Amino acid sequence: MSFSEKNKAMTELLYQLADDDFIHAHRGSEWLGLAPHIEEDVAFSSINQDTMGHAAMYYKLLEDLGEGKADDLSHRRKPEQYRNAIILEERNGSGEYLESPQYDWAFTVIRHFFYDVSKKIRLESLKQSSYEPLSEAARKILTEQYYHLMHWEVWFKQLMTSTAKARKKMEAAIFKVWDDFGGVLTLGPYGDEMVKAGLIEDEEVLKTRFTERMQKYFQSVDFKLVTEPQMKRGDGRAGVHTPDLEHALSTLSEVYVSDAEAAGW
Amino acid sequence: MIEQLTFDVLNDEQKYQHFMERINRGEKIEADDWMPDDYRQALIRLISMHGISEIMGALPEKEWVPKAPTLNRKLAIMAKVQDEMGHGQLLLRVAEDLMKPLGKNRDNIMQDLFSKRLKFHNVFHMPSPTWGDAAVIAWLVDGAAILSQTMMLDTSYGPYGRALKRICQEESFHAKHGESLVLSLAEGTDKQKQMLQEAVNRWWDALLMFFGPKSKNETGHSNVDKNIKYKLRTKTNEQLRQEFLTKYVPKMKLIGLDIPDKTIRFDEDKQEWIYKEPDWNEFKKIVSGNGPKTNERLHLRQSSYEQNEWVREALGHISSAAVG
Amino acid sequence: MKKDHHESDAFYEEFEVFSKKKDGSPIQHQFSLLAPNEEMALIMAKENFFRREPAVDIWVVKRSNIRKLAQSEKEALKKLDKPYRETKGYADLNRRWRAFKEKGKDEWLKGEKEA
Ligand SMILES: [Fe+2]
Ligand SMILES: [Fe+2]
Repeated sequence: MSFSEKNKAMTELLYQLADDDFIHAHRGSEWLGLAPHIEEDVAFSSINQDTMGHAAMYYKLLEDLGEGKADDLSHRRKPEQYRNAIILEERNGSGEYLESPQYDWAFTVIRHFFYDVSKKIRLESLKQSSYEPLSEAARKILTEQYYHLMHWEVWFKQLMTSTAKARKKMEAAIFKVWDDFGGVLTLGPYGDEMVKAGLIEDEEVLKTRFTERMQKYFQSVDFKLVTEPQMKRGDGRAGVHTPDLEHALSTLSEVYVSDAEAAGW
Repeated sequence: MIEQLTFDVLNDEQKYQHFMERINRGEKIEADDWMPDDYRQALIRLISMHGISEIMGALPEKEWVPKAPTLNRKLAIMAKVQDEMGHGQLLLRVAEDLMKPLGKNRDNIMQDLFSKRLKFHNVFHMPSPTWGDAAVIAWLVDGAAILSQTMMLDTSYGPYGRALKRICQEESFHAKHGESLVLSLAEGTDKQKQMLQEAVNRWWDALLMFFGPKSKNETGHSNVDKNIKYKLRTKTNEQLRQEFLTKYVPKMKLIGLDIPDKTIRFDEDKQEWIYKEPDWNEFKKIVSGNGPKTNERLHLRQSSYEQNEWVREALGHISSAAVG
Repeated sequence: MKKDHHESDAFYEEFEVFSKKKDGSPIQHQFSLLAPNEEMALIMAKENFFRREPAVDIWVVKRSNIRKLAQSEKEALKKLDKPYRETKGYADLNRRWRAFKEKGKDEWLKGEKEA
């Protein structure tokens, strides 16, 4: 494997990790002030901050590899250059977040829960990464993952076993997220190179761990799902995205790109 | 029998006397202690307004969370707005414990908010169109809030004092955060400086209004006197406003900002700031629930509360099922 | 809109939150929160009260499980001084030790002279 092949695999993986956390944290933070319960609002925000912090760590690794400034990487790329999974860019619900947002808490619980289950599995694998700064980062990030997972597990189990109305909303959210969750589990077009370079384990291995773990959670709440997670709307790892990403990015970078001369903010 | 043991047999007048003696000795009143209705009502009004102002105040700032220019700014403003929600949580808990004997809970507070029975700091519910507004809110709006909260730290009501202590500790981070945002713009390009100045122009009157009128002459009613009698607060509105001007006007000038009041000056003889009074008629309108963005933000809060009703219902159902 | 008050009350249960700052320190009361049950109370307690402060342990206790004192009981806690069970009741010890030391010195000097 040549140096440039390995480098490409490495940066592609880091963009996936960074962009996943970046956009996921953004969607979470849009709930600020609107969560179903004030105590939850505060708790949820911590998780989003942690996740945004993880994105910042990955962007810094990219900066160290000569990809450009972390702030430019997160705020100045075009949508098709982003490598996050499509399900993570999806809006929290219909409506603008400043005017009458129709946010769906069931969708948020499911998306966050599934994401944190898969994130933990991915991080466990990255701990053994051949790229030392990445395995170091994975170790650090894992320390915060325990309570994130616990948070969403509690929400998942309780809403799944409460009222019929809640169960219905939760099941609808599971099906919706499942249809595109394959996009989180895939390593994209450079997956084989990543594995060859010893950066992370094989996609299929990680996927199996994920589905086995999920089956246990499903069983615990008396729910069955026999299909594999799909990637119905395409592979974000290959730069395929929806208008939701473009929309989010224009908000996220509005101020940063508004003054080309500005040296600092 | 020792006198202290007989508290229960005191009549209301004796209880009131006993209560005022405790307050005047500097003792702290706790949630389950006997307190005059008047005191309870004053506390509920003050603390629920304070708590709801924190929660509603998170909404204009939240608009800037995703737009914050850099990764670091995004993180910091998220933490800051989260703290404000957290302040709301602390304060509502204090208010709820006071309302409990009246058969009310958080749901009632929310309903009172939506029907505008419950007032909050509407003066801050203005449009915040640029990042300059985010900086001014973080520096000056928080700065004003810090002064009034610090003043109440020694309040006679124990639970409020404890909440304020936590809040003020976090506010010291907010103050630094605000300074950092403002300094970055003040050090920046002409465009950035202008953005900052325009935001100051937009917020100046609201900042002066925040402390409330000098005396009840300006608006017709005021709870300041009662709050001072019960040792809930120690300074008047005007004292706080003067403190604010002393603390911030020199700093604003230092970084090249124009104060949007050509007449403002410090009178050395009187040792006080002379300034142009904001329009108190406008204030009356705003306080009664008609701030420029009040309805919009109330609607945001209300619709999200109602859309999530099913969540509270579902989890309330588990608990009541488990008990019953 | 009609509200089921029973369920809204059941969602808004009061929990008291306690924590231990570091190894070796005592458990201390922090604040209270509303949550529908213990599990929820716990995941919320952590982020509501320990965003900055360190904690090595966190407890949540349903408030209705706490037996508190009524005001008359609290007032009755004030009690007369019991100097015999506190160090300040033994303030005379130093003076008495000193007397023995003085006397010892005299005895010793006396012995010197006699020798
Ligand atoms: Fe605050
Ligand atoms: Fe603040």
